[in-house]
Amino acid sequence: MDASVLLALRDPAGIPFYPVVFQALYILTWALHAAFVLLALGSMGLSLYGTLKQKHDQNWKTLTPHLIQTGKISVSLLIVLGVAPLLFTQVIYDPNWYTTNTLSGMWVFIFIYVLIVGYMMYYWYFYANKAKAGGGKLIGIISFAVLVFAGILMHNFAVTSIMPNEWMNMYAPNGVVDNSGWTFNVDIIRLVFMVSLTVPVVGIFLQNYSRFISTREDSTKELVDYTASLGTKLGTIGLLISAVAFVVWMMRVGYLMHPVIIATIVGVLVLLFMVMTNKNSYVTTGVLVVVALLISGVRELIRFDLMAELGYSIYDYPVNLEIPSITMFLLTFLILGGVGVAYLLTMSWKVGKTKGVFDGSQDKAVNKLGNYTLAIMGLWMATFFGWGMTILFKNIL
Amino acid sequence: MDIIGQFPLFYFPEYGSAWMMGITGTIHILASHTSVGAAMLFAFLAYKAYKENRTDLYPYMKKYGMFLLIFSYVIGSITGPGIWYTATAASPRGISALIHNFVWVWATEWVFFVYEVIGVFALVYFIDKIDKKTHLKLTFTFALASVGTLALIIGIISFMMWPGTEGYYATGSASDAFFGVNTFPHMFLRIGFMIMMSGVIGLVISSAMKKENEALSNELSRKMGFVSLIGGFVTMFFFMWYMGTLPENAHAVFNVTKESIIQNRIILAIVFSLYFILAIVRPKTINTVLASSMIVVILLAGLWPGEKLRESMRKPYVAGQYIYSNQIISRDVPGKGIKSELPIIAEKGLLQVNPFVPENLKVITASNKLEAGKLLARMSCSNCHSLETTGKFRPLKDRLAGMDKNGIKSILYAIGAGGMNYMPALKLPEHEYDALAEYLASQKY
Repeated sequence: MDASVLLALRDPAGIPFYPVVFQALYILTWALHAAFVLLALGSMGLSLYGTLKQKHDQNWKTLTPHLIQTGKISVSLLIVLGVAPLLFTQVIYDPNWYTTNTLSGMWVFIFIYVLIVGYMMYYWYFYANKAKAGGGKLIGIISFAVLVFAGILMHNFAVTSIMPNEWMNMYAPNGVVDNSGWTFNVDIIRLVFMVSLTVPVVGIFLQNYSRFISTREDSTKELVDYTASLGTKLGTIGLLISAVAFVVWMMRVGYLMHPVIIATIVGVLVLLFMVMTNKNSYVTTGVLVVVALLISGVRELIRFDLMAELGYSIYDYPVNLEIPSITMFLLTFLILGGVGVAYLLTMSWKVGKTKGVFDGSQDKAVNKLGNYTLAIMGLWMATFFGWGMTILFKNIL
Repeated sequence: MDIIGQFPLFYFPEYGSAWMMGITGTIHILASHTSVGAAMLFAFLAYKAYKENRTDLYPYMKKYGMFLLIFSYVIGSITGPGIWYTATAASPRGISALIHNFVWVWATEWVFFVYEVIGVFALVYFIDKIDKKTHLKLTFTFALASVGTLALIIGIISFMMWPGTEGYYATGSASDAFFGVNTFPHMFLRIGFMIMMSGVIGLVISSAMKKENEALSNELSRKMGFVSLIGGFVTMFFFMWYMGTLPENAHAVFNVTKESIIQNRIILAIVFSLYFILAIVRPKTINTVLASSMIVVILLAGLWPGEKLRESMRKPYVAGQYIYSNQIISRDVPGKGIKSELPIIAEKGLLQVNPFVPENLKVITASNKLEAGKLLARMSCSNCHSLETTGKFRPLKDRLAGMDKNGIKSILYAIGAGGMNYMPALKLPEHEYDALAEYLASQKY
C-alpha cells in the first residue's frame, strides 16, 4: 500500500493530543482488556471441567460455581475494558482500523450478536449450574465455543489490520470489487499463543484464590491446598506452552532478538519461577501485569514497524491540541476513576473476607471512599452543566 | 496525487449497510435507557427502603437488579461498542470524525463505564451482604455514574445532527462541538424516556411478584405507573423543545412524513398514558404478559421508527454537517484545517480520487461503463438507498421508477447543484454522471 494513500486515510481533523500518549494508552488498556479475556476464557474452560467433578468432589463443588462467577464478571469487565483500546487504536491507526472494518463488515456485525448470544448463554449456564450441581454442561460448552469464536473474529480484525499490502487484493481481487464484507484472515501461531495464555492466567488466578480464601473461616485447608497446587500445575504447564508458542511466533516475524522480545521472555521466565515456587501469588500477579504490558507492547511494536516501513508513522500525525477535553478526561480518570474504583474494590475485598454482613458504615476506609466518590460525582455534574452553559451562552448570545 | 481518504465500501445487498447500525442502535437505546433509568429508580427505592425501614423492598430491588444486570448491562454494554463497530463498517469517516473530535469525551465516558460495570455487580450481589446505609450510598454513586454516561454521550450524538452554532467550525474546539443548542433539550428528552423506561421495566418485575406478595406487588405497580407517567410527560415536553432546536434540513425531511409521525406519536402517547393510569388505578390488572408486551410495543412502534426518523433527519449529513452520508467532506472546517472534497471530486471524479477503486475502473471506457456506473452508484447512493430492483431500504426503485437515462441524469444534475437540501450536493464530472445514469437506467426500476 502506497504511503500517500495511507496518509490520505488519516482523519483530516488531526488528533487532539500527542500520538505517543494514545499509543501508550493503547498498550496499557489492551493489556488490561486481554488480562480479562484470558481470565474469562480460562475460568470458563476450567469450570466446564469442574461440572464433571462437582457432584462427587468437595473441592470442585465449591470451586466450580466460583469459576463460573469469575468468568461471568470477567466477560463484563473485558467488554468495558475493551472499549478503551478500541477507541485509542482508531485515533492513531485509523487507516488500519476503518479499512479492516469495512473489509470485514459482515463479521463486524456478526461479532456483536455472537458476543450477545455467547454471554446470554453463559448466564443460562450460570443459573443451570446454580440450580443443580453439575448442571448446564452442554449450554456451558456451547457458550464457551461461541465466546471463543468471538475471540477468533477479533483476531481476524487484528490480523487484517496489519496486512495493508493485501487490502487492495482483498477488496478488489483481479479488479472485481467485492463489497460483501466477508474478509477473514487468521494467523494460526499468533492465535495459538494468545489462546495458550488462558492456561497460566487461570493458574495464577487459582493461586490467588487459594491465598484469598485461606483467611476465611468457612474455607477448608484441603480446598486451600488443592487450589494452590492445581494453580501451580496449570500455571507452570501453561507458561511453558505459551513460551514455546511465543518464540515460534517471534521467529516467524523475525523479532526474536529484539530487546522488547528478550525482555518479554525474561519476564515469562521470572513468572515461571514465581508460579512454581508460589511464595506470594499477589506479587506474581504484579509480574503477570508487567508481562501482559510487554506482550501488548510486542503487538504494537510489530504494527508500528510495519506501518513505518510503508511510510506511515503515527508520530507524524497532525496534532490539533484540544486542552479542555483532555483536562476533563485526566481529572475524571485520576480523581473520579481512582477514588471510585478504589471504593468499589475495597468494599468488594472486605465483603469477600467477611462471613455474614459487612458493615461498611463502621469501616473507616470504605466510608470515606464512599463519601469522596459521592462528592466528586456531584462536583463533576455541577462542572459539566456550568461548562456547558458557559460555552452555549458564549456561542449564542 | 489527488486522492481523498475514502475507505473500501461495505454494502449489504437489498438493504444497504445503514440498517445494520439501526438495528444495533435501537436495541442499544432500549437497553441503555433502561439501565440509566433503572439506576435512578434503584436509588429512589433504596432511599425509600432505608428512610422508612422498608425491608420488604429489598427483595424487589434484588430481582429488579438481576433483571437490570442481565438485560440492560449485558446487552447495553455489548451493543454500545456494537454501534461503533457497525458504524465503522457502514460509515467509517462519520465515526472517525466523531472519534477525532471527541476522543477524550469518550475516554471520560469510559471511566464512568468502568465504575458502572464493577458497580452493578456490587449493587446487586452485595444487597444482603452489606449494611443498608453503605448500600444506599452505593446506589447514589451508581445513579450519578449512569447519568454521567448520558451526559457524556449526548453532546456527541447531538453533534451528529449538527454542531448547533457556528462556533465549532471557526475554533474546531470539542467544547463548541459538544455543547450545541440541542444538547441540553436532547439530554432531558432522554432522561424523561429513561425514567419512563425504568417504570415500564419495573412493572414487569412488580407484576411478576403477585404470587409472593400481592399487596407489595400492587403498591409497586402503582408507583411504577406514576414514575412512567412522569417520565412520559418529561419526554413529550422536551421533545417539543428539542424539535425547535433542529436545523432546516432536518425539518425538510420531517415535513415529508410529518402528519403520519405526529399521528403515530399521539396514538402511542394515548395508549401508554392509559396503560400507566391503569397501573395506578387498577394495579391488579397489570400482569407480566401485558407488561412485557408493552416493552415490545415501545421497541417496535416507538424506538425503531424514532431512530429511523432521527437518522433520516440528519440527511444529507452523517456527522457535524460537514460529512455527507456517502463519506464525502462537504465543507471547510477552518478550526480543524479540514477542506471540502467537493471541488476535487467535481474536477477529477470519484473514481479517480478514491484510493480503493481498482485500476481497471479508474478510467471509464465503453467496455467498463456499466461496471463503473455500478461502483459509482454504490459509492454515492448506497449509504442511504438500496440499489437492487428488489431493494428494501429507501430503495431507488421507488425514486427512479420508470425513468430513462436522461430523466435520471436530470435528477443527478439537480442533486449536484444542491437543489434538494436533504441530498448531498455531489457534483460529478460529466463522464461520471453519464456512467452513473446509464447504470441506474439499465436497472429498469
